[in-house]
Amino acid sequence: MAEEIIEAIERYGLSKRNRKRTLFSRIGVVGCGKEGSVIATTAALNGMEVVFLEPNEESIDNAYGRIEEKLDKKISNWGLTENEKKAILSRITGTSSYEDFSGCDFVIEAIRYTDQTGERRITHRKEVFKELERVLSVNAIIASNVTTVIVTDLASELEHPERCIGLHFLSNVPDSQIIEIVPGLNTTTETYEKVCKFAKLIKHDFIPVMESSGLVSVRLFLIQLNEACGILLEGISSVEDIDKVLTVGFGHRQGVFRTADQMGIEKIVRLLENLWDEYGSLKYKPSPILLRLFRAKHFGVSTNRGFYTYDNYGNIIK
Amino acid sequence: MKILVLNCGSSSVKYKLLDMESNEELGTGGVEKIGMKGSFLKHVRRDGQKVILKGEILEHQLAIEYILGVLTSQKHGCIESLEEINAVGHRVVHGGEKFNSSVLITDEVIQMIVECIDIAPLHNPPNLAGIYAINELLPDVPQVAVFDTAFHQTMPDYAFMYGIPYSLYTKYGIRRYGFHGTSHRYVSKRACEFLGLDYTNTKMITAHIGNGASVCAIENGKSVDTSMGFTPVEGLMMGTRSGDIDLGVVTFLMEKEMIGSAYVSTLFNKHSGVLGVSGVSSDMRDIENAIAGGNDRARLALDMYEYRIKKYIGSYTAALGGVEVLVFTGGVGENQTGTRQKVCDSLAFMGVKIDAELNAKSRGKEVLLSTPDSTVKVVVIPTDEEFMIAADTLGIIERL
Repeated sequence: MAEEIIEAIERYGLSKRNRKRTLFSRIGVVGCGKEGSVIATTAALNGMEVVFLEPNEESIDNAYGRIEEKLDKKISNWGLTENEKKAILSRITGTSSYEDFSGCDFVIEAIRYTDQTGERRITHRKEVFKELERVLSVNAIIASNVTTVIVTDLASELEHPERCIGLHFLSNVPDSQIIEIVPGLNTTTETYEKVCKFAKLIKHDFIPVMESSGLVSVRLFLIQLNEACGILLEGISSVEDIDKVLTVGFGHRQGVFRTADQMGIEKIVRLLENLWDEYGSLKYKPSPILLRLFRAKHFGVSTNRGFYTYDNYGNIIK
Repeated sequence: MKILVLNCGSSSVKYKLLDMESNEELGTGGVEKIGMKGSFLKHVRRDGQKVILKGEILEHQLAIEYILGVLTSQKHGCIESLEEINAVGHRVVHGGEKFNSSVLITDEVIQMIVECIDIAPLHNPPNLAGIYAINELLPDVPQVAVFDTAFHQTMPDYAFMYGIPYSLYTKYGIRRYGFHGTSHRYVSKRACEFLGLDYTNTKMITAHIGNGASVCAIENGKSVDTSMGFTPVEGLMMGTRSGDIDLGVVTFLMEKEMIGSAYVSTLFNKHSGVLGVSGVSSDMRDIENAIAGGNDRARLALDMYEYRIKKYIGSYTAALGGVEVLVFTGGVGENQTGTRQKVCDSLAFMGVKIDAELNAKSRGKEVLLSTPDSTVKVVVIPTDEEFMIAADTLGIIERL
């Protein structure tokens, strides 16, 4: 007897119905940097097939490295097993061609801030949206990982702006499972509801947020950080002690300076400037301390120096 | 009378189609990796030929559709039309306190299984997915639910309660439920048939030991205690589960390792047990090889595994006030001769004695291991949960 007969399963179905793909079985991520890799990992962890786009082989390899690092960290914290890691990695594919997004019913743009200026150019992101519209079916949802950029603006030149939506993954505190969902002016209720379903599928809480610069999370955080910098500047307290008040006294999982270092000072300065431009309120003017760190390229964990000093694994040395 | 037995897990569906008159397996197999890359259906034909069908299988309904498609296919199937299936029996993991036996599935029963999701969030939803799928695909075929917990519903309250505030029992249903009930029920009944004993008048201990493992004390055909509790992590040390542990360890580790409830659950369910102690594998064959190669931690893991089994059998002997039959079943219980020997040797003080030579060559088949002068009859009974599910299903639909 032959060892095993191997065939394709398709012709053994009972009928042609129910052949529809389940929603979000395959999703895409454009840009697999700090935030993109969190999104890709989270989706794959929850059983979805993920395609991510990076410009070249080297950056694809780097992205795989970031994803693996996250999974290894979970393993060392007892949250995952080696076998599960293998299964998760097998669901993630890197590409440098937009064509590979065909068949995705949901693609999230998460291109990163350029290292030098901390800027994400709107024109570039609009191009991404257009490329996506070219390869995706009309029902597919195009989302942008937004904080201060307005999704309506990004979607304005598309043929189907109704399927565009903004999302904000709060990726700075590990395992913080909440998303801000930001419908644009043209976003349909259907698109919004589908994205809520996506959030549930990846086991995240979500809140709807009106389209606005800084949303809820970024505004709250940046103001607190700016104020903390003010306290520091006035010599009232130290970095460590201010963080201690927040963690011990207010039950935050980590302090505001630690979080800032993880987010990246270059990104924070840019975000504050965006908010200052948008709202014109002095409270958003980046504190001189932030600017000083920014100019010295002490961006935080990524450069081993920020408010704290770090080893190469992101642990605080002092 | 043909009965299809389905066992739906979170990403798998196992199935067996049984002809109840001839007691024959017509087709068996399973779908793996549902909703993931690389999903496939493995089917074993009546003639023993294995068939692998590869392709996208995104959800349970589709998996079951393919299973029905294969069973009725000309090429690999065993029935001509779906009308030949008289009933479907489902394994349902958690019946809570609502079910103490198998039941015909009605809308009301489905609602009650839904209500048990709170205490079995991982297991009951896929079981329900299977029920819904059959509702859709074979709407006129009666379905029966056979619960893993049902057999243990006869435990007395002093055995199933935890020593915590009673209000938590009334509020959340926190108590010991026990699992592997279908297996313990099958092997205990079958052991009595095999030995010619009266099931309703025998004190037995059944050890279902494998990757998951539990021991059950059975008095006159009723489960009076079992080692798994509110979840399957209590009791024996298992392949990757810790088994009994001081909960002070749990809170201590949560603080020291700075981990939350989800990670703690993974730690004690997936990183622990034989795998965690040995650092080698959760598979006993790998452990034996490692021991042969001089691996001390593999040795330790096996010692702990066996010691816990002995301890539970000893304590259940006390609970029952003596024991007449000891049954081994499950992957390890049926095949791991060394573990059986070790456990039985350590129970010599209570008169357990087995034929070492017979034990050493008995794998995966029904056999009486104890010597005539042993005070306890020791048997190996390969478990057959699917058969039990089919038998229950048959019993229920015959009364319709």
